[in-house]
Amino acid sequence: MKRYLPIIISVLLAASVPLFANGQKESGQASGQQQINLGAIWWGSQTRDERTIAAIKLYEKDHPNVHFTYQFAGWNDYWTKVTTQAAGKNLPDIMQQDYAYVTEWTHRNLLTNLDPYVSSGVIDLSHTSAPYIDGGKVDGHLYAIDLGANSQTWVLDTDAFKKAGIPIPPNDWTWNDFEKITMELHQKLGIWGMGPNLTDEQIWKSIYLGLGEWGYAKDGKSVGYSSDKPFVDFLNMALRLQKAGAIPSESNVITYLNKGPEQLPIVTGKSAMAYVWSNQIVALQTAAGADRHFTLHLLPRIAGGKSSNYIKNGQFFSVTSQSKNPKAAAEFINFITNSVDANKILLAERGVPISTIVQDALKPLLSPADAAQFNFVGLVATAGNSSPTPPPDPTGAANVIQNVYQPQVIQPVMFGNITPEQGAALLRSKADAILSGKQQ
Amino acid sequence: MNPKVQNDSPIGAAIAPMNQRQSVGNSLPMSMRQKKRRDLAKSTLFHVLVIASGIIMIYPLLWLLSSSLKPRDEIWNTVTQLIPHHLTIQHYLDGWSGFGGVTFTTFYINTFIYAGFGTILAVVTCTTVAFGFARIRFPGSRIWFAVMLLTLMLPVEIQIIPQYILFSRLNLVNTFVPLLLPRFLDQAGQAFFIFMIVQFIRGIPIELDEAADIDGAGRFSIFTRVILPLIQPPIVTSAIFSFYFTWGDFLTPLVYLNSPQLYTVSLALRAFADPSGLTDWGAIFAMSFLSLIPVIAVFIMFQRYIVQGISTSGMKG
Amino acid sequence: MRNKRLRANALAGYLFISPWLIGFVTLTLIPILAIMVLGFTKYPILAAPKWIGLENFRYMFFGDPRFWKSVWATLYFAFASVPLKLAFALAIALMLNLKHRGTSVYRAVYYAPSIVGTSVAVAVMWREIFDSKGLVNGLLHVFGIPSQVAWLGNPHTAIWTLILLVIWQFGSPMLIFLAGLKQIPVELYESAAIDGARTWKRFTRITLPLLTPIIFFNLVLQIIFGLTVFTPAFIITSGAPLDTTNFYALYLYTRAFENFQMGYGSAMAFVLLLIISIFTAVVFKSSPYWVFYESEGPKR
Repeated sequence: MKRYLPIIISVLLAASVPLFANGQKESGQASGQQQINLGAIWWGSQTRDERTIAAIKLYEKDHPNVHFTYQFAGWNDYWTKVTTQAAGKNLPDIMQQDYAYVTEWTHRNLLTNLDPYVSSGVIDLSHTSAPYIDGGKVDGHLYAIDLGANSQTWVLDTDAFKKAGIPIPPNDWTWNDFEKITMELHQKLGIWGMGPNLTDEQIWKSIYLGLGEWGYAKDGKSVGYSSDKPFVDFLNMALRLQKAGAIPSESNVITYLNKGPEQLPIVTGKSAMAYVWSNQIVALQTAAGADRHFTLHLLPRIAGGKSSNYIKNGQFFSVTSQSKNPKAAAEFINFITNSVDANKILLAERGVPISTIVQDALKPLLSPADAAQFNFVGLVATAGNSSPTPPPDPTGAANVIQNVYQPQVIQPVMFGNITPEQGAALLRSKADAILSGKQQ
Repeated sequence: MNPKVQNDSPIGAAIAPMNQRQSVGNSLPMSMRQKKRRDLAKSTLFHVLVIASGIIMIYPLLWLLSSSLKPRDEIWNTVTQLIPHHLTIQHYLDGWSGFGGVTFTTFYINTFIYAGFGTILAVVTCTTVAFGFARIRFPGSRIWFAVMLLTLMLPVEIQIIPQYILFSRLNLVNTFVPLLLPRFLDQAGQAFFIFMIVQFIRGIPIELDEAADIDGAGRFSIFTRVILPLIQPPIVTSAIFSFYFTWGDFLTPLVYLNSPQLYTVSLALRAFADPSGLTDWGAIFAMSFLSLIPVIAVFIMFQRYIVQGISTSGMKG
Repeated sequence: MRNKRLRANALAGYLFISPWLIGFVTLTLIPILAIMVLGFTKYPILAAPKWIGLENFRYMFFGDPRFWKSVWATLYFAFASVPLKLAFALAIALMLNLKHRGTSVYRAVYYAPSIVGTSVAVAVMWREIFDSKGLVNGLLHVFGIPSQVAWLGNPHTAIWTLILLVIWQFGSPMLIFLAGLKQIPVELYESAAIDGARTWKRFTRITLPLLTPIIFFNLVLQIIFGLTVFTPAFIITSGAPLDTTNFYALYLYTRAFENFQMGYGSAMAFVLLLIISIFTAVVFKSSPYWVFYESEGPKR
C-alpha cells in the first residue's frame, strides 16, 4: 500500500488543479457589445434542470453578448443554499421564488421591484391577465413573474367511479357531496375513497377563500377569517371519514408526508381520489401508467359559497436586489415568459405558461397528461370557477404551518387528543401571535 | 488472574498467525471424529446465524438494486417484491447522463478527488495531532482536548453561515478550498478520529516510548518508528470512515459549489428529487446503488489492514 | 533542567497539535463565538441581527411546547439506541474476531448498512419497509399476525423505526471494536487457556478490561451522535407524528433555516452544547473507575 501512495497523491494533485481555480469561465468577447454575465438559480428535478438549461442555451445563442452561469438544487436544499448565499451577499441575478417565501424575501429587500420594467416594456405582460400576475405582487408591487400557473385539483379515478356506479360530480360540488361520495366509494370498493392529504394547509386556506376570506389577513398580521366554524365542520367531517375508514388514518397520512405525487395511493389503486397541484398530474399519470384514466376536478366548496379554486402562481422568477445587471436579467425573464421557442423546450413542466400566445402554441405539442393540466387551468380561469388570486403567504407563515398547524392542531385533532374546536381556537391564537410578531 | 501476565514482553508481539490458535476450551479429551463433528456443528451454526442476520443487514440494499432495475411504472406497484417482473437498465443510462451535459463521470471524478484528498489530508493530520494529545504532557493539553471534543457537539448547520461569509469574502466560493481546508485542519468532524487514535495510542505501553527515548530517539522518531506502526488499525479505520463520510457529505458541497461541473455525486443525487414535479426514482435508485460501490470497494481493499493484527518484529525484549 | 524539559514538551506538544489548533482558531472559533452571541439576538439571516437579550431562552424554556417535546424525543432516542447499538456492535465484532471462513465477506455485509448512510435512497427504502403494506407487516402476516400498523405514522412506534435505523447501522462502532480486539495480543489468551480458563473467564478478564479504552470511546461518541441525531428524522419522518420524532437538531434546523430564526436556533445550539457536555463530562468523570489504559499501568 505504501508503494502506491505517492502515485495516488500525484494523480489526485494533477486532476484537481482545476478545482482550485474559481469555476466561472469567461467566454470570448463579441465584437462591439459588452459582455454581460448573468447567474440563475432554481430548484427542480432532473427534467426541469435539463429543460431550463436548454432554454438558457437558446437565449445565449440569440444573445451572444450574454453568458449564463446556472445553479440548481433539489427543493429541500434550495432554500438552505439561497439563504446562505443571501447572507454572504452572493446571490445570482435571477432566482426562482415561491409563494411561501416571496413576501419574506421582498420585505428583506432581496428582490428587485419589477414594475419599472413592465411599464417600460422590457417585460411584456400584454398577453396575460391579472390572475396570472397578482400572485407575484407584494404590497401592490410586482416582485416575481410566474413561470407556470397551477391550480389545486381533485384527481378522480374515473375507472373506480365507474366501477362503484357513482357519477362524476358537478363542478360546484360541496363538502357534503364529497363526504357522501367518499363514504360510498369506500363501502362499494373497499379502498380509501380519498387519499392522505385532506388536511393539507392549502385546503384550510381554500375553504375560506370560497367564503370571500382567506387563511391570512390582507395585512398579514393575523388569520384572515372571522369564524372558526367552517374549519371546525371540516375537521369533524374528516374525523367521521377517518372513523369509517374511508380516508387513511392519521398514522397512514403521516407516512405520506415526505412523498411525491408518484407515491400517492391513487397510483396503486388504493384510493379513488387524490388532491394535488395541477402540474403534478403528469408525474401521477406517468407513475400510474398510460392505461389509467383520471379526471381533474375543482375543489369541493362550502355549501352556498363560491369556488375554492384560484390560479396559483406555481413558481416565479425574480431578479435579486444584489444583481448588477437587473435590466438584462429582466430581459431574460421576458424571454422565458413570452418566447414560444423557449417554452417549446420547457414544455409546461412548471405549470401552464401565463402568456396566451404561448399556451396556444404549446397545445398541439402536449402529452395527454399535460393537455389535461392545460385544460384544467383554463377551466379554472373561466368565470365562476375560481376566486381572485390571494396574495402570497405573509412573513411567518412557514412558522405557523410547521410549528402550529401540523404538530399542534391537525395531528392532535386527527389522533383524537383534542377536539376540532380546541384545535381551531389554538390555531387562531397562535397564528395571530406569530404573524403579528408578538411571539417567535 | 492478572491480565498483565508477563511484564517484560512487549504487548505488540502478536505474531502468531490466527489460524494456528487452538481452541483449548475444555480439557476433556475427545476423539478426532467427535471433535471434527463438533467443529462442523459450530461452524454451521455460525454460518447460519451470520447469513440470516446478514440478509437483514443487506435487504434494503437488495431492494435498492431491484428497484433500480424495474421499469418506471412497476417501481411503486411492486414494492414488496424483490425480483422484478421486467428488467431494464434504462435507469442507469438515464441517471448517468446527469444534468445539462454534465454526466456522472464528472460527478464521480469530483467526488473521488474530494474524498481521496480529503481523506489523506485528514488522516495525516489527525494522527499527528492524536500523538500530541496522547503522548506529550504539555500545558493546556487537557483544555484543548476538551475544546476539541466540544466542537463535535455543535450541529454543523449552525456553523455554516459564518464560515460561508468568511470564505465568500476571500472569494473562495465555487472552489474546493472551503471543502478541503477544514478537513486538512481537522475542523470538519475529524475530532472523532483524533479521539479514537488517542485511545488506541493509550493502549500502547509507555515502556516502548521510554526504551526508544533511552536509545536517543527524538519525539518525532518515537512517533514514526514506535507508535505509527502499532496504530495501523485505527489509522485504516479512520481512513475508511473519512472516505465514507466525505463521499456522502452534501451540506458543504451544496453551499459552496455553484457550477454543476463541480458537483459531487451526493449533491447530484439530491438534485434529482423534487416533490413538486416529476422525479425519476429509477434514476435515483440506479445512481444511488452505483455510488455505494466505490465506498464498498475502499472498504474491502483496506479492511485487511484493520484485522491483520499488530506485528513488531525486532522489538522484543 | 526541569524547566528545559517542560519547555521542550510544550513546544513539541503544540507543534504536534498545530494543524488542529490553527484550524480551530481560524475556522471554528469565530463561528462558535458568533453562535454564542447570536443566541441573544433575533437574526432572520436575510437581515441584520437585532439584540433581544434573554427572550430566545425565555421562549424556549417557558413558551415553546415543541421545545420540550424535542428534548424528550432526543433523550428517549439516545437512551434507547446507544446501548443497543453498542451491544450489537460488540457482539458482532466478537463473532467476527473468530477465525471462520468468509469472515471478511461478513464484515463487509455488516458494514454495508452504514455505507448506505443517510442518502435519499435509504429514506425511501425505510419508508417502504415500514409502510402499512410493507415488508415488516408482510413478515408478520407470515407468522400469523395480521398487522396493519403504519409504523412510521403511529405516535407509539414511529421513533422506534428510527431507532432501528441507527441500530441497523452499527457497522462503524463494530469496526472500531474489531480494531480494538485485534490489538489484544493472542499470547494472553494462550496463557490463559493453558492456565485452564474458560471462554467466559477469558472474555471478562482479558478482553473486556483491555477493550475498555475503546468501549469508552464508542460510548462517548455514540452519546454525542445520539443526542445530535438529525438526518434520519429529516429524511424519513420530518418530526411527525405528534413531534415524537422531532429531534432537537431537526427542530433547530427547522427554526434556523426554514423559519428564518437563526437567533433562536443559535440559542438552541448553545443549550444543546451544554446538555451534551454534561453527559460527556459524567462519562469522563466515571472513567477512572472502569477504563484501563495499558500505557498507564496499574492504578493507585
